[in-house]
Amino acid sequence: MPEIFKLAGVLIVVVGLALRLRTTLVVAAAGLATGLIAGLPLVSGLPALEGVPVLTSPGKEGIVNMLGRAFADNRLMTLFIITLPAIGLAERYGLQEQSARFIRRVGAATVGRLLITYQLFRVLMGILGIRLLGHPAFVRPLVFPMALGAAEAEAGARSVEAVPEKEIDRIKAGSAASENYGNFYGQNLSPVQAGILLVYGTLNSPGIGYAVSLWSIVLYAIPIAALSVVVAAAQFLLFDRYLRRRLAEPS
Amino acid sequence: MPTLSNIAAALFSLDAVYVLTGLVLWVFAALNFRDRANANRLGSALFWLILGVIFIAGSLMPHWLTGALVLLMVALDGAGRVGHRARAGETTKSGQAVPKEPTLGNRIFLPVLLIPVLAFGFALVFRLAGGDTSRGALVGLGFGGLAALAAGLRLTRGSAREAFEEGRRLNDSMGSVIILPQLLASLGIIFAASGVGALIAEGVKGVVPGDGLFLLIAANCLGMTLFTLVMGNSFAAFPVITTGVLVPLIVRPFGVDPAMAAIITLTAGSTGTLMTPMAANFNIVPAALLNMRDQYGVIKFQVPFALVMWVLHVLVMWTMIRLSL
Repeated sequence: MPEIFKLAGVLIVVVGLALRLRTTLVVAAAGLATGLIAGLPLVSGLPALEGVPVLTSPGKEGIVNMLGRAFADNRLMTLFIITLPAIGLAERYGLQEQSARFIRRVGAATVGRLLITYQLFRVLMGILGIRLLGHPAFVRPLVFPMALGAAEAEAGARSVEAVPEKEIDRIKAGSAASENYGNFYGQNLSPVQAGILLVYGTLNSPGIGYAVSLWSIVLYAIPIAALSVVVAAAQFLLFDRYLRRRLAEPS
Repeated sequence: MPTLSNIAAALFSLDAVYVLTGLVLWVFAALNFRDRANANRLGSALFWLILGVIFIAGSLMPHWLTGALVLLMVALDGAGRVGHRARAGETTKSGQAVPKEPTLGNRIFLPVLLIPVLAFGFALVFRLAGGDTSRGALVGLGFGGLAALAAGLRLTRGSAREAFEEGRRLNDSMGSVIILPQLLASLGIIFAASGVGALIAEGVKGVVPGDGLFLLIAANCLGMTLFTLVMGNSFAAFPVITTGVLVPLIVRPFGVDPAMAAIITLTAGSTGTLMTPMAANFNIVPAALLNMRDQYGVIKFQVPFALVMWVLHVLVMWTMIRLSL
């Protein structure tokens, strides 16, 4: 089979997502198809199936095994479930209302300025070498409600219900984006973070063999990190202008 | 006989936090099972029950069994048996709970702030003890979640039942999207084992234009970004692009500082991460966590930023090479 057929999985993902099929199903199908086309056995380590072609092949890890291994190894991505009862309870007792009230008292607060501030905070966490799951820990319980409060204050409205749904969705998107911007570019400003260690390890590997220091990599990460803050600030301030226009319109 | 430090190490380990998370999932499963109003109560309960099993026993079970359980979860979701709609009347327009009388003032922030504070504190303690800070932050996140729950119950005088019902509401509103990051990580592993990465690297090398420095830099950054769009992860793309394109075609022939060229190549990949649904933990899960109507809403917001940043990566790398030649 030609090598190019291995890209079938990529095609399945692109078509499946474009057709908005059930994402979990699309991803699993792409994995199974790619592995089988590449000649990987379906499963390994099951004595009962030993010697059955396609299903198993001695010495090779099976597709289902890889699926299970990677899924278990990456449980940390889903760890935030443990915080849901606490966050749900706090929301029940007015966390969102209080966040909005808190931010309304800060006269200078706008959605854009708030998101710039949060991004800078995330860059600072990166410099300190701390990786956090910021979306569940900060964005959902605190940043988004505060941004919404700032939007209400700008709209001169007394409640969330006065902000149009489309604008609420964009404020949500902006809140999530400020987390990603700050996290992605801030994390390279510390020599203990995974990205810097990956660059260090790759360049120092026997095949490449450049003896670079961790700090020189961090140093060269600064220009792009600085630009990311500037470009994001421009986007968030433009977003403020857009919101002011939209919220001034009678809906 | 186990020593005190051994017990502490086991108690404050990632595995302990996984077990606790699994127990929380089992409570969500039980609440789903008992909810007669939920048309999908059996499928949903089974889905969260299985995820709980994987969280609790994932480090012990043989990988084929975990893989089979994952496929069972996918089948349940594919058959539409996992409810993922927030029930009407319980959420506001912005997707949060209808609050009770908000009489607690700023004290309501205390339990929620415990989560990042403990994550930060654990990271610090792990570093002082010579451990891994990232792992410390994750363990801290886990215990922070429980500490926040205890503090919240004390503060609000609410019941544990109420807290878990609220937690379940958040969980169900995300639904099967919750497992997507783990599923995509698995897809990345299968892609890598099947040689998909090497194939893409060959493709990028095949279309690298001439030997002009600027075009080579653009091709290098484009390859990195495209690779990341497909794999959803710049870390998987980086070693392949570095060994296949960056070092042989730019760093060696032009005598470029490898540290500079490499870190800018890595972050060129990050612009791809901002634009791909394959990076579900950054782009799709947050959309679900915030109850957005468009699951691609976060990506759409990020695309203009990512495109500007991509151009800046090419310009910055080119300028820095020009300045040093």
